[in-house]
Amino acid sequence: MEFNQFWSQVTELTQASLKSRYRRTFAGFIWVVLNPLMMFGVQSLVFKTFMRIDVPNYYLFLLGGLLPWIFFSQTIQMGTPIFVAQSHLLRSFKINPMVILASQVLDNFINFIASFLLILLPFYLLSGQNLLPLLLLPLAIVALLIATLGACIIFGTINVFFRDTNFVIGFMFSLLFFMTPIFYPKEYVPERWQWLVELNPLNYLLGPFKIIIHNQGIGFVNSILWSFGVAIAFALIAILVWRKKRNGFYFRL
Amino acid sequence: MDSTLDSEIILKVENVSLHFELEHFQQKDMRDMFISAITHPIDFIFKPQEILMVLDDISFDIKRGMRLGILGINGAGKTTLCRCIAGMMVPQKGKIISQAEIRAIFDTGTGIMPELTGRENARLLARLFFPDVKDLHPLVNEAIEFSELGHFIDIPFKQYSKGMQARLMLSLISARSSDILILDEVLDGADVFFQQKLSVRMHNFIKASGATVFVSHSPEQIRSVCDSVLVINKGKIGFMGEVEQGLEYYHQNLAPNN
Repeated sequence: MEFNQFWSQVTELTQASLKSRYRRTFAGFIWVVLNPLMMFGVQSLVFKTFMRIDVPNYYLFLLGGLLPWIFFSQTIQMGTPIFVAQSHLLRSFKINPMVILASQVLDNFINFIASFLLILLPFYLLSGQNLLPLLLLPLAIVALLIATLGACIIFGTINVFFRDTNFVIGFMFSLLFFMTPIFYPKEYVPERWQWLVELNPLNYLLGPFKIIIHNQGIGFVNSILWSFGVAIAFALIAILVWRKKRNGFYFRL
Repeated sequence: MDSTLDSEIILKVENVSLHFELEHFQQKDMRDMFISAITHPIDFIFKPQEILMVLDDISFDIKRGMRLGILGINGAGKTTLCRCIAGMMVPQKGKIISQAEIRAIFDTGTGIMPELTGRENARLLARLFFPDVKDLHPLVNEAIEFSELGHFIDIPFKQYSKGMQARLMLSLISARSSDILILDEVLDGADVFFQQKLSVRMHNFIKASGATVFVSHSPEQIRSVCDSVLVINKGKIGFMGEVEQGLEYYHQNLAPNN
């Protein structure tokens, strides 16, 4: 299928899903901004005020890691069950399953951009930092988007075979949140535990965001290369998993 | 002139075999797998995978204008064969050669977003069925009119009866001619009158260009729609040819008490 046909299907589906959601309640949209804002509020209170993590500009530091983390973890947890949730549709017609998945990712991506504009931008402007590094953000976002889509395909396909995948992933994310330098700087991790950070793919995906938002872009080139490396690895694994499992996928749906 | 059209092959199935690894059958979840990996590590790693052969070396051609019926008992591989022809599944051996535009429908009882109205679902599904059509309005409107759903078209899809859902889906999928249309046991959802109406539309549609692959257990439906029959028996072709002979083969060789 040509890309623009794929894209027109994805956008149409996303529009319809937005429509169907807002038809139910407008609170849905408020929640999109309120949810990350509350997580941010509680975490900055706990880590900055209670535990006194000593990082200058801590609000920006925290937001730079937290917002992409929320996008990645929430999109995967919403994307993983989607093939099974739409199994009737996928079994009934010849429809590209990736359209449905990509539409869910796009839906979450719109929320992510909204939270960026409504939460991060005001803090960034208030901090009086140079605005130029923000121009690098699209690169960091593209890498994160590729990795997220890849991870959704991988876990969504596995979920067709093991229906408790999302349960396991939710559990893994709750562990991973503490093992990823989001609310603490990577430098806090002692030398002999650094390997734990280095093995964590999330560390590489969030890295460029932290550098742009909190570090004025210093060290960006190195970190974005790592980030794209991880993103491409996710994408390749996704293609392999789908190729290997697509027959069984329809069989088990 | 008709005879040259008749002989034009639009899809070739060549020595297609497809199997499933039998672990797919077991409703295991991840936590079960984790426990069995710890408690029986050797079995877990070395236990050979069992294989279920679903399609075994199948070859045939679909020609333009053909109305091919597929018969076979449950589990014979009919749907798997249709999914291969549609390009949803990929055979492990052999290949399917075709440049044709193929549409397939395996079930009619599903909308895409049940909270949205029938009209909105129709529009959305039309986008998924016909990605190459730029302006879908005329097509969707024609399908809605054909479905005769009247004012029901603007109520939420989830409130539709099975028959109404089937009417909308079948009207939509047949709204535009395609090279090959695959209908897998989908006529049963609609009432007799609509089936007759649809059958006329399908005959027109077949005349317009396409070929039809039609799966059904009902001899009457096969007789009314098809001009040739393929009987699948345990993943192999048991019979291929004329309709009455095919039905006879099916009843003689695959009847449960045989």
